[in-house]
Amino acid sequence: MQTQASRMHTFHVSLAALVLLLFSMFMTLLPQNAQALPTFARQTGQNCVACHAGGQFPELTPYGRLFKLTGYTIGARTQPFAVMGVVTSSSIAKPPVDYVKGAEPIFATGSVFIAGKITDNIGAFSQFTYDPYAVPNDDGSFSGHSQADNIDIRFADHIVSDKNDWIFGVSLNNHPTLTDPWNTVAAWTQYVPSASLSSSQFIDANAPFPDIPWDDNVAGLNAYVFWNQTIYADIGLYHTADKAFSFLSTGISTPTQLQGSNPYYRLAFSHEWGPHNLMIGTTGMVAKVYDDPTDTSDPATVSQYNSQGFDAQYQYLLNPHTVTAQLAYMKSDHSYSQATNPGVSDTDTKTRAKLTYTYQAKYGGSVSAFDWTGTTNGQSNPATSGMTYEAFFIPKQNVRVGVQYTTYNTFEGASTNYDGAGRNASDNNSMFLYVWFAY
Amino acid sequence: MKYSQIFLVLAMGLLGAGCSNIERSRDLANPQVSATTLVQQVCSLCHGIDGNSVSPIFPRLAGQSPDYIVAQLGNFRSHQRSDPPGYEYMWGLTRNITDEQIKGLAEYFSSQKPIANAAVDARQMAAGKVIFDNGVPEKEAAPCMACHGPTAQGMATFPRLAGQHQDYLVKQLHVFQETEGRPGTPMKQITHLLSDEEMEAVASYLQAFPSSP
Repeated sequence: MQTQASRMHTFHVSLAALVLLLFSMFMTLLPQNAQALPTFARQTGQNCVACHAGGQFPELTPYGRLFKLTGYTIGARTQPFAVMGVVTSSSIAKPPVDYVKGAEPIFATGSVFIAGKITDNIGAFSQFTYDPYAVPNDDGSFSGHSQADNIDIRFADHIVSDKNDWIFGVSLNNHPTLTDPWNTVAAWTQYVPSASLSSSQFIDANAPFPDIPWDDNVAGLNAYVFWNQTIYADIGLYHTADKAFSFLSTGISTPTQLQGSNPYYRLAFSHEWGPHNLMIGTTGMVAKVYDDPTDTSDPATVSQYNSQGFDAQYQYLLNPHTVTAQLAYMKSDHSYSQATNPGVSDTDTKTRAKLTYTYQAKYGGSVSAFDWTGTTNGQSNPATSGMTYEAFFIPKQNVRVGVQYTTYNTFEGASTNYDGAGRNASDNNSMFLYVWFAY
Repeated sequence: MKYSQIFLVLAMGLLGAGCSNIERSRDLANPQVSATTLVQQVCSLCHGIDGNSVSPIFPRLAGQSPDYIVAQLGNFRSHQRSDPPGYEYMWGLTRNITDEQIKGLAEYFSSQKPIANAAVDARQMAAGKVIFDNGVPEKEAAPCMACHGPTAQGMATFPRLAGQHQDYLVKQLHVFQETEGRPGTPMKQITHLLSDEEMEAVASYLQAFPSSP
């Protein structure tokens, strides 16, 4: 027999599903108009599926990768604005006390893009995101907040001869790995929608992604080259986003403070044959980060992070089928600052594998496995592992409706009683519904 | 020099350098951009710089009949051709290109040398050869070679088929058969006479056409 609490829970889930369904139907019934799409589609006049594998943004096709690497400059200059929103509802097997909005549909984030071709060689992708639940207030309400999200401004050129094809350029950007055209690097594995999230209490999980652990808005200048669509290399230096670069951290009151120049590299091998393409690559970064972003007076408060990643992606693209297999691994050594934990360091390794299938760029599903392990010299045991299962529907090319279910084998170090208060990893198993749209 | 000054100098330099680059422009709305530049900067990303595309999503254009290329680009531009790849990829790319650019693109790709495509199943290929050479007499389906030429090289607005990707050909045959996406060709009638197996077979023969290139 159902308790009142469980009946209410079921009711909330049903309501959330209904709202999401109605919303998706509404979006489906909007008139089809190839011009009524985000800015890159308006610029090229092409359908999203040309650049996004199986229509699932942001994962790129080989052509989409070249569009990005040539500086977003293919097509005709047009008005550069677009918007994106994500409506979500999430519920957890045993919600923790602070899980306020369980099973309620919420407008999770909204973004404005300013993007597209500027000149023959210069283009931009910039995203500013509003989080309605950014700041919890004492009275239980929330205040929204906007900030610079992803910014990538490029100069690119493309020289073609009989034997060689060189695409090269420079990028001013605000996140390491943001410049990358593959979606297995840190900036693009953890894209919305996602059941993970430490930044919102409404979407549970901390399902780990192979990320760069300190990553926040900084200022990077990268130079890259793609030779014969086979070898890709990208090197960059990242600084604090201050002075002339402060627009890269717009909206962040205390942006991450880096000490000096912090190097980043990316190398990848890419090959395409028939409907198949494969990439194998590596990324790495050394970063010196001030413990307290409001105080950079003492060099003894600088921690160092050495991150080294390996990733691979296979795509099969042939209508009506799209198959993507992704593997990403990141190992990060964190040497604590002299001021906090002298001579002590920890190593974290995060791995994620994901297999996605899309049919007719409309119906899709994915399964992914994640694993995070770490030493415990100066931190508590982070070990977290599990699986995420997802089904999604793309009724129109700029709308995606999906449901994810995430299960945990371990959470923060253990399968059972991980918090010492009787909470088990599986108590965090979560259901996540989303509607994602862009215009 | 402070970072801000370096940045400003860099930005000004890049803007200055980037405002005009007609030889390597990817601007699809500038009639001054040559057809060769359009090929290098845009078309080649999917169709290959020599017109021998790798992915079967995109048709091979090397050695294609220039009249056919002109006709198809015109059909994309006017939205007369509305098969899914047509409107998903090509409507936008062709919306502003000029007749002169189209002519140049046709000249470029028609003069490229086709290279052999991947081999296919021998039995399927043999069955395809019979259809290509003789049609399907019991269904009164004409042989392909009657219009596309004895070496499938294409004739005027009848496209070259030799070396074309099997998957692309099969999809287009279904477009002819099941939709109105490519109006005004005899293929509508012919494809109604062919079974799925026959279309697969003849497309496989054409992909690995013996005399191609």
